[in-house]
Amino acid sequence: MEKSTGKIGIKEYIAIILLTIGTKLADDLPSIIYNSLYNAAWMMPIISGILVIIPLYLLIKTMMYYKEKSLLEIVVHLLGKYLGFIVIFALWIVGSITIIIDTAIYTDIIGTMYFSRTPTIILYFVLVGVCAYGAKRGIEQIGSVARALLPYIKISILIALILTMIQGNLDFLFPFFGPGEWTVIKESSLRLSIYGDILYLSLLTPYIRNANDFKKGTWIAFVILVAELTIAFFAYLLLFDFESVRMLSYPFHEVIRYINFGFLTNVETFFFPFWLIATFVRFAVYFYLNGILFGRLFRIKDFEHVIPSLATLFLLLGMILENNPIALTHVRDYLLIFVTPIFFGLPCILWIVAKLKGDYKNEKT
Amino acid sequence: MKKHNLIVKLIYLIPILLTLSGCWNQSQIEERAYVIAIGLDKAEASNRIKVTYLIANPEYGSQIQGGGTEEPPQEIISFVTDDITTSRNAANAVIAKEITYDLLRVMVVSEEFAQDKDFVRWMYDSTKDPEIRRDIHLVVSKENASEFFQKNKPRLETRPHKYFELALSRGIETGMLPNSELLQYFRITEADAELFLAMYGTTQNKDKDEQDNDNDHFTAGEFQFEGETNQTNFAGSAVFKEGKMIGKLSGDETRISVILNPTLDASDILTTYKDPFNKKYRIAVRVNKKSANKVEMDLKADKPSINVTIPLEIEVLSAHSMVDYERDINKREKLKKSIEKELTNKIEKFVARTQEEFKAEPFGWSFIARKQFLTIPAYKKFDWMKTYPDMKVNIDVQITFGQFGRQSELPKLDEIRD
Repeated sequence: MEKSTGKIGIKEYIAIILLTIGTKLADDLPSIIYNSLYNAAWMMPIISGILVIIPLYLLIKTMMYYKEKSLLEIVVHLLGKYLGFIVIFALWIVGSITIIIDTAIYTDIIGTMYFSRTPTIILYFVLVGVCAYGAKRGIEQIGSVARALLPYIKISILIALILTMIQGNLDFLFPFFGPGEWTVIKESSLRLSIYGDILYLSLLTPYIRNANDFKKGTWIAFVILVAELTIAFFAYLLLFDFESVRMLSYPFHEVIRYINFGFLTNVETFFFPFWLIATFVRFAVYFYLNGILFGRLFRIKDFEHVIPSLATLFLLLGMILENNPIALTHVRDYLLIFVTPIFFGLPCILWIVAKLKGDYKNEKT
Repeated sequence: MKKHNLIVKLIYLIPILLTLSGCWNQSQIEERAYVIAIGLDKAEASNRIKVTYLIANPEYGSQIQGGGTEEPPQEIISFVTDDITTSRNAANAVIAKEITYDLLRVMVVSEEFAQDKDFVRWMYDSTKDPEIRRDIHLVVSKENASEFFQKNKPRLETRPHKYFELALSRGIETGMLPNSELLQYFRITEADAELFLAMYGTTQNKDKDEQDNDNDHFTAGEFQFEGETNQTNFAGSAVFKEGKMIGKLSGDETRISVILNPTLDASDILTTYKDPFNKKYRIAVRVNKKSANKVEMDLKADKPSINVTIPLEIEVLSAHSMVDYERDINKREKLKKSIEKELTNKIEKFVARTQEEFKAEPFGWSFIARKQFLTIPAYKKFDWMKTYPDMKVNIDVQITFGQFGRQSELPKLDEIRD
């Protein structure tokens, strides 16, 4: 039997990226995008995807240069002890806020769409509990779960999207540029941060078996993600048309309630479990990354033990927000816009500083 | 040490087991009352509605338990209430089980209620309730929905969910009913450019009124039939503009809408047309829409215009006049011209009616018009619904013949009578 190394391979890494970011197509993200981009929403993943190539390229370049260092060590190395601490602290805060808001939204989805009579606190507790438990088991376990389940989850989503497109109408794509060409470009670039998780996921490099796996894995997953999000936004639009789709809070869940397989109705009972598993993996990864940041900030070596306490804290904070799911979507949109400059700027700054320090040259000669 | 570990693990397992069993939403089939169809009527008090539930008996007609029960297949309850979500509790004063909309398939609305200016408000209640799905069919009934359900007594398909499923889907296939899912109702109301068509049905039948010559030109209630069967009939459609009912279409007009509309579908249209060689008789045909209509628009002109080309394949099933269409190319040509003319006239008449009477169209043309605009603001400025009534619409029906039935030859009539 292969000996456990505590590290993950390229397949696990790709699976983790695809599940953390890919799951967003089934929450309130489409609703946020449709609200500002109408029927041009499907262009958004492509436009911001093209722009994201810049920070992603610089990030990977910097990371590949300091192969033996993790992202956090690079930050401290390049920006100095104090500035480095501030950057890591900011990353941790943003990460925590994301977890709090997103878990609250996911609890709301489960509560309003499926288990309307179960008390919110119980749903929330089970969600956070399962994810924190998963996170505490370590990245290797999360990785293998993600890899094992990825095909089933993605195939189920693909089936749902194909059925949606078959029942939709291509004419709903028009007027082609939605609210206008410039609005589309502006609003898309404001929300680059839908891919921001990649920056956080690069924290995992010390746990990836081979540095090149990180480079290759990131690009492969990134291309799949752009395609996936585009297809999803496309499918919802074709079924609902642009005025109606804007009024839905969770288009994916409306879609799986509407579509049918021939004589089979109520097919959401088939799609829901897959979505739920993807959600568990997603938040387990989030908790784990949060643990890494927290451990680094306060010099805790076995940070995995902190995760349950952090999870409890997030649960309590999230419960306060949970009372207002409508406001949550707005908060999430602000967060997306707020994180964009960080996601875009940090890799650029790191790369420039590395260049100025002359570390690149030294290595090459 | 190992033994100790095992005990600790078992202790951990117990709370996990508890979460598994603690399903708040769990309930057994026999504890629930499944509403198959819901009826909505105007109540006398303002801001209240009369809700009717048609509840199916899941045990009826099932194969297990040796052929079901003595209990009837369905029960009906009507009462006045505030809205369709809270009404579920009120109904429990009479119904013993918990009421659920999980298997809801049909929403029947009385014509009077559908014409109410507040109708949209009640409809939007259903977008809030997660148990009401968007693939439910909206049916408008001539009488009150409560009366509709009470009079509806299917003879051969007594299980109500099967009855509605079969009756409505057959109507859609033959083009006599539009496919009227709630999804389309909301989509069209929100897009605010088109008319929505809902199915029309009734249990009240006009007595002895002369049915139109043309045998598909009837709406539900005008169809004359005799015999021992259910009084309910579905035919034609109710026209909704901005979420409110404003008129009715006959079965024939519904078919035209289906043929003209790329988002609606019909696969089995059987109808009759005048025979050009003998005005007394009509020829029976099956109409197939083989390819999409070609719709060309000139929206930049002062008076915008639409040119619609409708390619139809027609299978002549039988000709009473016994004219030999199969082998005589000239006669076929004449028949083709005659059907094209008849259909074009019919469609043009109907298009004119939508322009004058409804001031909007149910043909999905606004989606085609959208392609000529680059941005939503430009499209909104054009305002399709306002512009449509003044447009010039040219209809061009192009017919190709399909099969001519099973037997290709007919005897010469004078030879038989010789």
